[in-house]
Amino acid sequence: MSGILEFVTHPLNAVTFFPLVGVVAILLLAREKETLIRWVALGTSLITFVISLGVLGLFNPQDPGLQLVYDRPWFTVAGWTIRYVMGVDGLSILLLLLTTLLTPIAILSTWTAIQERVKEFMIFFLLLEIGMVGVFLALDLFLFYIFWEFTLVPMYFLIGMWGGPRRMYAAIKFFLYTMAGSILMLLAIVWLGLHYGTFSVPDILAQGPVMGPVQYWLFLAFAAAFAIKVPMWPLHSWLPDAHVEAPTAGSVILAGVLLKMGTYGFLRFNMSLFPDAAKYYAPWVALLAVIGIVYGAIVSFPQRDVKKLVAYSSVSHLGFVMLGLFAFTPQGIEGAILQMINHGISTGALFLIVGMIYERRHTRDLDAFGGLWKVMPVYAVLSLITALSSMGLPGLNGFVGEFNILLGALGSRVLGSYWFAGFAALGVILAAVYMLTMYQKVFLGPLDKEENKCLQDLNWREVVTLLPLIVLMFWIGLYPKPFFALMHPAVEHLLQAVLK
Amino acid sequence: MVAYWIFALVSLLMVLAALVAVTNRNLVRATMGLVLVLFGNAVLFVLLEAYFLAVAQVIIYIGAIAILIVFAIMLTRHVGDAWGPAFHRAWAWAVVVAGGLAVGLLFWIAHWPAADGKAKSPVDPQYTKLLGKALVAPDGYVIPFEVASALLLAALIGAIYVAWGGRRVKGPYPQRSEEKEA
Amino acid sequence: MTVPVTWQDVAALLPEFFLVVWASALLLLDVFWIREKRTTAWLSALGFVVALVLAVGQMGRAPLLAFRGMVIADAFSVFLVALFALSGLVGILLAQDYLARNGIERGEFYVLLMFSVVGMMLMARVADLVMIFLALELFSLPLYVMTGFARPRADSEEAALKYFLLGAFASGFMAFGIALVYGATSTTSLPHMVDVIQAGEADLALLTAGAALVLTGLGFKIATVPFHMWTPDVYHGAPSPVSGFMAATAKMAGFAALLRLFVLVFPVVADLTPVLWALAALSMVLGNVAAIAQRNIKRLLAYSSIAHAGYMLSAAVAFADPHLGPQAVAAILFYLVAYVLATFGAWGVVILLERRIGQEGLLLEDYAGLSRQYPGLAAAMAVFMLSFIGVPPTLGFFGKFYLFRVVLDAGFVGLALIGVLTSLVSAYYYLRVVMLMYMKPGEPIVRREPRVQATVLAAAALTLFLGLTAASSLYAWATEAILRFG
Repeated sequence: MSGILEFVTHPLNAVTFFPLVGVVAILLLAREKETLIRWVALGTSLITFVISLGVLGLFNPQDPGLQLVYDRPWFTVAGWTIRYVMGVDGLSILLLLLTTLLTPIAILSTWTAIQERVKEFMIFFLLLEIGMVGVFLALDLFLFYIFWEFTLVPMYFLIGMWGGPRRMYAAIKFFLYTMAGSILMLLAIVWLGLHYGTFSVPDILAQGPVMGPVQYWLFLAFAAAFAIKVPMWPLHSWLPDAHVEAPTAGSVILAGVLLKMGTYGFLRFNMSLFPDAAKYYAPWVALLAVIGIVYGAIVSFPQRDVKKLVAYSSVSHLGFVMLGLFAFTPQGIEGAILQMINHGISTGALFLIVGMIYERRHTRDLDAFGGLWKVMPVYAVLSLITALSSMGLPGLNGFVGEFNILLGALGSRVLGSYWFAGFAALGVILAAVYMLTMYQKVFLGPLDKEENKCLQDLNWREVVTLLPLIVLMFWIGLYPKPFFALMHPAVEHLLQAVLK
Repeated sequence: MVAYWIFALVSLLMVLAALVAVTNRNLVRATMGLVLVLFGNAVLFVLLEAYFLAVAQVIIYIGAIAILIVFAIMLTRHVGDAWGPAFHRAWAWAVVVAGGLAVGLLFWIAHWPAADGKAKSPVDPQYTKLLGKALVAPDGYVIPFEVASALLLAALIGAIYVAWGGRRVKGPYPQRSEEKEA
Repeated sequence: MTVPVTWQDVAALLPEFFLVVWASALLLLDVFWIREKRTTAWLSALGFVVALVLAVGQMGRAPLLAFRGMVIADAFSVFLVALFALSGLVGILLAQDYLARNGIERGEFYVLLMFSVVGMMLMARVADLVMIFLALELFSLPLYVMTGFARPRADSEEAALKYFLLGAFASGFMAFGIALVYGATSTTSLPHMVDVIQAGEADLALLTAGAALVLTGLGFKIATVPFHMWTPDVYHGAPSPVSGFMAATAKMAGFAALLRLFVLVFPVVADLTPVLWALAALSMVLGNVAAIAQRNIKRLLAYSSIAHAGYMLSAAVAFADPHLGPQAVAAILFYLVAYVLATFGAWGVVILLERRIGQEGLLLEDYAGLSRQYPGLAAAMAVFMLSFIGVPPTLGFFGKFYLFRVVLDAGFVGLALIGVLTSLVSAYYYLRVVMLMYMKPGEPIVRREPRVQATVLAAAALTLFLGLTAASSLYAWATEAILRFG
């Protein structure tokens, strides 16, 4: 009993498993009490957010290492002690906060959008939050894999049950693609366990990272899982389908958090476990990243479905993150981590915005709109800020991240070429093109469609949904220092180990 | 010496009976020929002092299998009718194969080192008794024996169930009336 | 001269003895006294409960050879005997309502099931070649009859005939293999055989041939490719509870004997490693690929059971390694528990949806919309499917994890890759069932049969929670269940 108490009172366990309280509560409620269920879910996720703020309060930004580590033997299997290791450091603290922030926002966005099977929806959503938070906090490979795979299940149901017309195809594609990568990672994890006798990442690193030719294979096995999740070109084809079919809240979480699990995986595991292989493959990864940046931007442009446009823009943005990570410079990696957060904020907001108009017009076709500025001014302003943030306008968050990434890539000795940064810069310009075209088609021009003339502007709930994200866009854009301060020691620490 | 005569007599009888079994067009008579062969076999076992095998031979082959064949014939054909040709179209081939087999066997037996006409290691006269004891002794084969009996019991139940023709219903089974398709 | 039967001998086989006596008594009671077949069902269930208690009572004892080394009560066999007793209980819970509603409830069914379970238990206990053959027959024969229990129905009869003929064929291989092994080592006693082999007195070529034939015979029972042809037809034609019972337990029994023979006695025939490798790979590939094309849930589960036999066999490929052998045993036992739970659960759902025996409610489309009307049942089925795929945190994930661990440890990277890639393939068809239940509208018709429902939900709860809470103790238990001969 005291063991359980000790377990749940640790802040990292609390923030991970608190949504379970909501799940149990919702399970006990009758399915007809939909409003109550929504409130319980929202309340649970808000409390989780508060707990994560508590974690931030306990976090010491000066400490480059892992903090608040909870390390217990979990179970023993024939000589293997599988440990339950949770911890947070500068690489993961922001992603933790992003996850716990986006979850209540996404839940709030479903208030009227999800009318069917609310009970199941909220259960899956809270389960998803457990998985996501666990992925960012787990430091034992086995535990990490459990959380990692576990996120698949609720997301599969979210897409498949509440998605669009081709939801079943999209859901199964999402599941199979992601699983294809992660099972290869599982084999690599088992190999590491056999080799090191432990799955705990700190313990493995204490014994020294993986050396010898096998690390190139292991790197690829891990990279398969993460690259599909990111998604890196050419493994991205599940993403547009999943995004288009997923319900708004699902898209928000998918773009905002799930994709970051891939980049975070590269950062946390690929770089530190196989440093030589990571440096060896860095130009190739960067090449794919740059191709993704340009490809995503170019393909976004002709899309008529707004969601698809945003989905392809994600491929482009995540390409920036990958480029920054594999530049192996402090600026590059810090920019990449910040860009993960930025992308979560701006793309999350974009999907919310798309969802709001979809709820009103039940279409996402760009040609169905035009001149919305006149009927929905608040909506138009918030959308403009979000679009500008997404394309990286100075003064907003996107600029800070992308600028740092480009600087990092330019100064990178591992990549050894300016061309990566040069082509990536092209992506910034293209982003401006497709974002502004989209904005123009939807909001500017004549208000010539009859259906659009009587559209309601945003209500207070929708504004509240967007507001935290808008505030963050300005905050990061104007004063990013506290964010960098959180990650800087950890990044330096990581680079020291990797570039040694 | 008596044993040799008996052996010769019985062997001759067996060959003749075997000929009856394969050539007679009346299936019941052919079966009787087969029974005679099997019985002769049992006598040969007795001559070899393998009493247990002799008894087992009588019980299993004559008592069970031959009876089964007779049953099968009586259930499927008009009893005693001569039916069909006695010789298969390819009888010549059968002769070749059987002849080859016989030559081979003879050759093998002739060259068998033990076939020098002298009896080797006379069988313990207590043999059957020992065998019987071993089958039920705790330090023998009591467990396989018991498992075999359980196996036979299960087989018996199964056979009865499968063969029991009390109810032949065509089509799907009648549904119980109180059944609710909830 | 003769040694009396000691209490130790009897104690070693107490669950089996009890079940045989109980089954025989029940046979008589059923004929002469019991009016309601339901009573017979309850009494046989009670018998299994007692057998389970007796089996649990055997735990923690030192390995004990009994009856002049015919059988052994070691941790391995006790583990499996307990599992078999439990499976028998579940088998009866699943069967009773189904038989009653289809008008084929007869007391013989329960008696046969009990005899079959005794045979399976003995498969786990064998310490002598003679016993392997007898135990194999004792568990198979009742299964043949139970397969044909819906007798005048053509597909049930066909299934029984197919199963019987191929089973008899397999027994022939088995007997031949046993004869060759006996010829190679001049003993039928397995412990003695180990000594003979270690002394180098065995004829290795003959032993290898014999082991291969024994593998063939057992391969039929556990349904590995290429000895699997009967599986889809038999699982499809047999009454669903029988299929479920067979899928779960016959595989366990086959693996029990296979592990004891190969890990304990035959490590010397390492020449067979590539053969096992190929059998495992073929089973995983063929079972999973063929399952994709199935529209009937019973056939789908049949092919999936072939694939799972392949997964388990892939760990057994390491049998020749003296260091990995025990780990392979533990991993396979663990996987068996996961597999048996999910199998019983999934077949339970099949039973609940099957409207008329072998006719309606068996297509995948019949599962559409299940989650709306029966959320609990649909969630349970989803858990079983996810466990079959091996998604955390279900028990199936831990099972696959341990299996792949052994496979990788033994250096069979190719086999491990085949294993994970076919798992991916399997996700496709398992998820299709989930998809139909959750994402397609429909009006499924489900029976209210509380016993079956309770079994299904219990299996789902165990599949879900054992993984997170008790995977280690279960694995520790399986690890202690090392094969021993004294």
